[in-house]
Amino acid sequence: MSNNPMLKFTDINLETPVKRISEGRVDDFNEIYKEYASDKAEDQASRCSQCGVPYCQSHCPLHNNIPDWLKLTTQGRLKEAYTLSQKTNSFPEICGRICPQDRLCEGNCVIEQSGHGTVTIGSIEKYITDTAWKNGWVKPITPKIERDETVAIIGAGPGGLAAAATLRKNGLKVNIYDRYDRAGGLMTYGIPSFKLEKDVVSKRVTQLNDSGVNFHLNCNVGKDISFEQIISEHHATIIATGVYKSRELDGLKIDFENIVEAIDFLTASNRKGFGDPVKDFDNGKLNSHGKKVVVIGGGDTAMDCVRTAIRQGAASVKCLYRRDRGNMPGSQREVLNAEEEGVEFVWLSAPKSFVGKKIVKSVKVSKMRLGPADSTGRQFPEEIKGSAYFEDADLVIKALGFDPEDIKSFWHNPRLEFTRWGTIKTDFRTHSTNLKNVYAIGDISRGASLVVWAIKDGQEVAENIINNLKEPVNMAAE
Amino acid sequence: MSMKYKQMFEKQKKMRRSLSKNGMYSEEDERSSCGVGLVVSIDAKPSRKVVENGIEALKAVWHRGAVDADGKTGDGAGIHLQIPVSFFYDQIRRTGHEPKMDELVAVGMIFLPRVDFGAQEACRTIIESEILKMGYSIYGWRHVPVKVSCLGEKANLTRPEIEQILISNSKGVEEETFERELYVIRRRIEKQASGMKDLYVASLSCRSIIYKGMMLAEQVSEFYPDLQDKRFQSTFAIYHQRYSTNTFPQWWLAQPFRMLAHNGEINTFKGNVNWMKSHEIRMAGAAFGNYAEDIKPIISAGSSDSAALDSVFEMMVRGGRSAPMAKTMMVPESWSKLTVEMPKKWQNMYAYCNSVMEPWDGPAALAMTDGRWVAAGLDRSGLRPMRYVVTGDGLLIAGSEAGMVPINESTVVEKGALGPGEMIAVDLERKILLHDKELKDELVDSAPFDDWASKIIDLEKVTKGKETQYYSGGELRTRQMAAGYSMEELEAILAPMAEDGKEAISSMGDDTPSAVLSKKYRPLSHYFRQNFSQVTNPPIDSLRENRVMSLKTRFGNLKNVLDQDSSQTEILVLDSPFVSNAKFSKMLGIFGDDAVTIDCTFDGDSERLALSKSLDRLKMEAEDAIRSGVGHLILSDKQQSADKIAVPMILATSAVHSWLTKRGLRTFCSLNVQSAECLDAHYFAVLIGSGATTVNAYLAQDSIADRVSRKLLSGSITENIRRYQEAIDQGLLKIMAKMGISVISSYRGGLNFEAVGLSRSMVAEYFPGMQSRISGIGITGIQKKVLEVHKEAWNEDQDILPIGGFYKSRRSGEKHAWEAQTMHLMQMACQKGSFDLWKKYSKKMQLNPPIHLRDLLDIKPLGHPVPLDKVESITSIRKRFVTPGMSLGALSPEAHKTLNIAMNRIGAKSDSGEGGEDPNHFTPEPNGDNPSAKIKQVASGRFGVTAEYLNQCEELEIKVAQGAKPGEGGQLPGIKVTDLIARLRHSTKGVTLISPPPHHDIYSIEDLAQLIYDLKQINPLCKVSVKLVAASGVGTIAAGVAKAKADIILISGHNGGTGASPATSIKYAGLPWEMGLTEAHQVLSMNNLRDRITLRTDGGLRTGRDIVIAAMMGAEEFGIGSAALIAMGCIMVRQCQSNTCPVGVCTQDEKLRDKFSGSAEKVVNLITFYAQEVQEILATIGAVSLDDIVGRVDLLHQVSRGAAHLDDLDLNPMLIMVDGAKEAKLNRLRDRTEVDDTLDFQIINDAARFFEFGEKMQLSYTVKNTDRTIGARASNHVVRKFGMNNKLQSDQLTLKLAGSTGQSLGAFLVSGIKLEVTGESNDYVGKGLSGGIITVKPDVSSSLVASENTIIGNTVLYGATNGKLFASGRAGERFAVRNSGADVVVEGCGTNGCEYMTGGTAVILGSIGANFGAGMTGGMAYIYDPYELSKAQINSETLLISDSLTDHWLEKLKVLIEEHNKETGSIIARDILDNWSTEKEYFLQICPKEMVTQIRFPIFLNETQPKVGT
Repeated sequence: MSNNPMLKFTDINLETPVKRISEGRVDDFNEIYKEYASDKAEDQASRCSQCGVPYCQSHCPLHNNIPDWLKLTTQGRLKEAYTLSQKTNSFPEICGRICPQDRLCEGNCVIEQSGHGTVTIGSIEKYITDTAWKNGWVKPITPKIERDETVAIIGAGPGGLAAAATLRKNGLKVNIYDRYDRAGGLMTYGIPSFKLEKDVVSKRVTQLNDSGVNFHLNCNVGKDISFEQIISEHHATIIATGVYKSRELDGLKIDFENIVEAIDFLTASNRKGFGDPVKDFDNGKLNSHGKKVVVIGGGDTAMDCVRTAIRQGAASVKCLYRRDRGNMPGSQREVLNAEEEGVEFVWLSAPKSFVGKKIVKSVKVSKMRLGPADSTGRQFPEEIKGSAYFEDADLVIKALGFDPEDIKSFWHNPRLEFTRWGTIKTDFRTHSTNLKNVYAIGDISRGASLVVWAIKDGQEVAENIINNLKEPVNMAAE
Repeated sequence: MSMKYKQMFEKQKKMRRSLSKNGMYSEEDERSSCGVGLVVSIDAKPSRKVVENGIEALKAVWHRGAVDADGKTGDGAGIHLQIPVSFFYDQIRRTGHEPKMDELVAVGMIFLPRVDFGAQEACRTIIESEILKMGYSIYGWRHVPVKVSCLGEKANLTRPEIEQILISNSKGVEEETFERELYVIRRRIEKQASGMKDLYVASLSCRSIIYKGMMLAEQVSEFYPDLQDKRFQSTFAIYHQRYSTNTFPQWWLAQPFRMLAHNGEINTFKGNVNWMKSHEIRMAGAAFGNYAEDIKPIISAGSSDSAALDSVFEMMVRGGRSAPMAKTMMVPESWSKLTVEMPKKWQNMYAYCNSVMEPWDGPAALAMTDGRWVAAGLDRSGLRPMRYVVTGDGLLIAGSEAGMVPINESTVVEKGALGPGEMIAVDLERKILLHDKELKDELVDSAPFDDWASKIIDLEKVTKGKETQYYSGGELRTRQMAAGYSMEELEAILAPMAEDGKEAISSMGDDTPSAVLSKKYRPLSHYFRQNFSQVTNPPIDSLRENRVMSLKTRFGNLKNVLDQDSSQTEILVLDSPFVSNAKFSKMLGIFGDDAVTIDCTFDGDSERLALSKSLDRLKMEAEDAIRSGVGHLILSDKQQSADKIAVPMILATSAVHSWLTKRGLRTFCSLNVQSAECLDAHYFAVLIGSGATTVNAYLAQDSIADRVSRKLLSGSITENIRRYQEAIDQGLLKIMAKMGISVISSYRGGLNFEAVGLSRSMVAEYFPGMQSRISGIGITGIQKKVLEVHKEAWNEDQDILPIGGFYKSRRSGEKHAWEAQTMHLMQMACQKGSFDLWKKYSKKMQLNPPIHLRDLLDIKPLGHPVPLDKVESITSIRKRFVTPGMSLGALSPEAHKTLNIAMNRIGAKSDSGEGGEDPNHFTPEPNGDNPSAKIKQVASGRFGVTAEYLNQCEELEIKVAQGAKPGEGGQLPGIKVTDLIARLRHSTKGVTLISPPPHHDIYSIEDLAQLIYDLKQINPLCKVSVKLVAASGVGTIAAGVAKAKADIILISGHNGGTGASPATSIKYAGLPWEMGLTEAHQVLSMNNLRDRITLRTDGGLRTGRDIVIAAMMGAEEFGIGSAALIAMGCIMVRQCQSNTCPVGVCTQDEKLRDKFSGSAEKVVNLITFYAQEVQEILATIGAVSLDDIVGRVDLLHQVSRGAAHLDDLDLNPMLIMVDGAKEAKLNRLRDRTEVDDTLDFQIINDAARFFEFGEKMQLSYTVKNTDRTIGARASNHVVRKFGMNNKLQSDQLTLKLAGSTGQSLGAFLVSGIKLEVTGESNDYVGKGLSGGIITVKPDVSSSLVASENTIIGNTVLYGATNGKLFASGRAGERFAVRNSGADVVVEGCGTNGCEYMTGGTAVILGSIGANFGAGMTGGMAYIYDPYELSKAQINSETLLISDSLTDHWLEKLKVLIEEHNKETGSIIARDILDNWSTEKEYFLQICPKEMVTQIRFPIFLNETQPKVGT
């Protein structure tokens, strides 16, 4: 055992896990990164500088104890690393796969900032928990004390599941209601499996199921069960529905058959992955095979769409975004992956109109330039007059982001307060809504955001509920 | 006497009392130090000459004392003489009596209240009645004539009525009995008079008498005309000159005391006083018979350390021990590790002494007498000089300096210097002089010590065994959690100890909340701040001078200290108080029925007072156990369970220890503690400081065992525990060494801590004697906290320990001031020059929960807001900023230079730090920037401190201590010593460099005065600043420093940064600057010294608000360290120690240095923002300049008293406004305080043509020991005119000096000047020698054998970088310490020769003392060793020794010896050269291991011999 095996960034260079070369990888929907070999993981973890102020932790929504589990990994203490990692994160292997680390931990890694190349935090996080699964260290939750209180969670996405896990650890009973046939929310149907293979999510759902979480799937609140009934039957209720309403292209006529929404496109693709029949895919509407595809938007959803389209065998895939590469919201790493796979990015461009009758033939595109920065430093794009040109398109996918659905009417005017953006109004510290014992977390309270934020909210709200319930109503031995 | 003065004086007296009660000042902290010596006639004939010599000597040590602000009041001086019987017979006759010639006469020297006649009369009555009660008759009182005019105003105001009482031995008892009964009489008087303030018996004896008072040394004989009377004759004279930090005259604290005079400081004072209280109970001497109770308490309240030492010494002597034996017992030489060097018989005697009493430890030069013996002695480390001479006319003259008494050189018999622990004595009865060896050989034969010592049972041998584990798995984790362990603690603190046998190293400053302000659970140890030495006494180097230290732990049942028999040695000993599980169970087995275990837990669900009640129970159980005859108590928290909560063991231990002490039972038992919480060295230290005999950290041990079983540690559990013990032992030694304590028995129970945030009433009850100035958490608060952590651990399912975050920031852990977001904001602000961003940063900082004491304060307005443009300008405010000392070596050259340039651009100051500075910086950059630091630091390593360096600055800073690790030295590992660093530090690339803990020329306050004097000579323009670390007593030290003529005092907070330091040092030593600064400001103001000094502070000043608060607390200037680094790109990675700073700030790695992104602009922006924010605050509170608010603590008020569970957190002691403080005229820009001129003033006049035109000149002077620092001012002229590296001939200016030169001869002497001394010299010869040549040889008339006699003093060539020294005679202790380039030949040296040497050549043509070459990493030494005595004396840890030199080196050696002979006419050199072919075989060559690969010529013969046939 060496004395101080860390701080090796001066000797060991950054090495990400092997990425499958783009040629073969676009032919299937499997993940593109291979797992680290154990010595490689140890080596890469040892590059950590064990900072006095861990910027990685500061910039991790979950405040994961990253330097510590990196050190444990270096020393081969993976079980402890897993326990520690699991302590702050209900689903580390998911975050390790889909967090935009380049904007969070890794992007702020001190070693990265000072020009040595980041510590590959996400890959190691994934390695740790995958190893834990392999070795059977991940067990169903068995609380020390079973309590009688019940908590309802509406929505089985990352936030809801994280809340469920934390609540079960403390012995509370949990009912989860979700309108889909599978739990996982966007992790199941939104995110393509080349980023997050579906069994990763389903293993977690199974674990929670085995831990005593009651899943009520295919259950549409407002239809199959009323919101009022849920809150009346539980000591606390967590709303974690996410946001599913696609944003529109303002002022454009979009009433064309072959203009589709990203969520529909991605869900269809994921369902096909499960082997489900999907009418609109099978009839070709949501299948991009052999088509010229134009995706509009520059966020992570857009990235998912373009890369899915490539894998479906599109003739060409172009991505229109009104700002430039440096100012896009999506992960730079994803852009790189997409480019490798053959996607063409058309920076500083915005659709002016769609050409065609019922079916779009081409998109009229205006070139943009970035105007002066506002007080936050963000530059607003302006159109360059006379720059318009036409881009051929067989399929146009709108990936402009998501807004909250109209819960108010879905749930028949609950007494909930909403913000002017349609999200549920909550106290940002406690996540409580205006209704007693009703909480809202994740995208439905904060607007479209990352999985990791939903997990954070879920864990946090569970802790709050436990604190608020104070003494257990009735304690029963296991 | 002016009435105004008197009023002021009375006011001051009141203020002192009130400040002591309400403020930050404590009278206990007063320190003193001095010059001391004796003259004794070996033939025991009284003579006038002895008295005159004594008076003469007093006049020659004036510079070791200090003068008060009034310019006349000295700190005290006095002389102890035999009673001149005939003189007093005449006095008796004047009283109208006829002296009874057949009866012995005794004289009492009495200080009486002067103004209050009633009280005076009452005192006389007490004295007379006690004398009469004992059966003696009184001749009468004599009013001692005094000459008041020579006193200072203050001294005169406090002057007592001085009278003598003349007594006759009317009982006709033996002299011995008469003397002892006079002692009892005196003790009785003192007891009776304890309520009366001004009665003091200076002496009461039939043998001797003491004349002393608050005057300068030279005034003693003037003030007391008696001393000039021809009839006043004596066999001996013991004299003393005091230098006190105190400016409040106390006549009685002047020395000598009844039996001894002491120069130095007793570091173990607190422990000694505490233990004396216990010893007293069992003390009953045959000699005192029925009077035994009369003499208690032995130590009067309010005694200084010296006075207490004297009291105990006197008691021991009166109880039947001789003065040399009493000295041996109380101030023994170090012995436990010297098995090779020391005779077995001596060791046995010391082993006996150790079992009787705890040593009184600390720098001490003692001059003492018991009537029969007159002796001089030194402490174990030899930290004070004691030079002696035996004259042709039969006198022994010993004292702090050589040459204090003019003598006839041609008849001198012997000249010497006492070594560590040594004595020299004259037995007046036998009329013989005894040297150390003769004396101790006599002592060991005086009692059957061998026999007695054989009764000591060494437990070490019988408790060895395979280590065991109590807990594992889930229960281990539960208990770890309940004890507050975190993963961090196990990984970063405990594991490294088991792995490396050393404490973990960390870096940068502590930015977490004080324990009392924390929201987290903090073990009780966190409230204890380790004490440490600065200025008034030196810390010890526990690594390199380990031989003087010992953890030897005694057990149980300590007997009557007055007895002299074997019962005292019937004790058990262990090598260390650290007891492992295996050892503990074996020990219990050995104790058997003699031990009782006390369960230190309490019920979980009980009421508010549960903890407090359980402490009562512990006390009672302990007392009962001892009263039933048990000899060993075990305090254990192992019984804890889900509903049994552990009492914090520090509290349990101290409660029991202090209770037993109070009940007089502590010496009857040992106190063995089993603690779960105890894990690091600091916790061990607190337990032992609270009174624990041994400590078993069973849970820490189990945690290690757990790691071993998981294969995270290699080796067996036993091996790992051994390494853990090694680390803890080293840590304990370091903590003791920090405050200069060598032996653990003197540390035990001493509570050498200051509590920060413990309730005052709780401390008073359970930790009596410890300071807790701001109060805080009490018993109920502790109970609440303990309960919380206990519940969490035992009631909840925990699969992993909390992550921690105390050392390194973690989100779920302790709060840190510097966080990612704040650092980022500040860096962006500095990069973009955006004050808006800075304000965001500053606001964010202020929104933090309270971290520092100041965060509980708010600022009150001075008046109505003023417009910004009316306020002192930003440009002006900026000039008050300083970037504190951060060395090049720690910092990368880029970072170091950037700071200099930035600060120079705005007229502020940067500090070079220790480590020199590139001479290229002394010329401007092409763009006009000045890259040279305005402040140059002089630290203990003296790296690169050359005459040139000292002249390239406006200010010289003496770094006495460093906030992050006060009391400790440092080390720059070889990997960081690049070409550049090696060049600047005058060392070798790749070779480790060590900075010692103390400045080896500052062991005491008068030494500091000497160094300041030296620095003001070599640079006649610069100011001198002294960097201190906040600690209780820092105010008093600051007063002493002010009197030493420093211009600026920097009070550093404990949270200052460091490039590398043990983690526990960063966390647990030193105080927040708020406490240190307010104390310094208060005490300086109280002593009217405030306006002599500019106060500066640093340590975590992060916003403009911090600056304003610091100003209000008294600071005029402000140091910005960490923030400046952060502005340059530092992101608190806290890996400075590893040379892998990813941002290139704190590394020497070229690749990483490329990443440095700092710039002068960023730093300028930073300081500007601070200033701008200060300006804004000033405007809002209605102040027009910073000067308006300096010291205005009345503008601060406490707005929060901390968390609800605290008893009271009272910052008011910090907010006391000293009367008159407002009147002090502060002026940062005033001229420096000048020091007296030296002989150089004359030299510069006489050698004008040399200084002007470089003409070769030669001048001659007669000198005495008051001619100090000769050559430094002349060197300054040479540097300015010709440069340090000039083309002058080496003897272009030759100064021939005859006599005894004062200290610091040839300090910083540069090439071109040669000093030729005929006679002798004192300490610090060739300090910082920078190219000059010094020769010292005996007077031609002297018949002494040079190599057997001491010719130069201690600490020669300290930090010398170049030049030569030839001294025909022996050198004292620490010869050539930290020499980094000078060549020197001497004819013998004392202990610790060539310590820390990094360059140059030392040739020693005589015997050497012990511990030679400790920490020597460079240079070369040769020892002439014909009797083969030297090897055993060498500390060869870093060294190689060759006894057959190769030709190359022999040639070099010979050249030096030839030069030595030529320069000094050395006889031994001539002999060696004449017989070179045989004598050369007797040389040893000493070469540092790390150097072997760096030198071109091989050291060992076999390396050179070409193999045959190749």
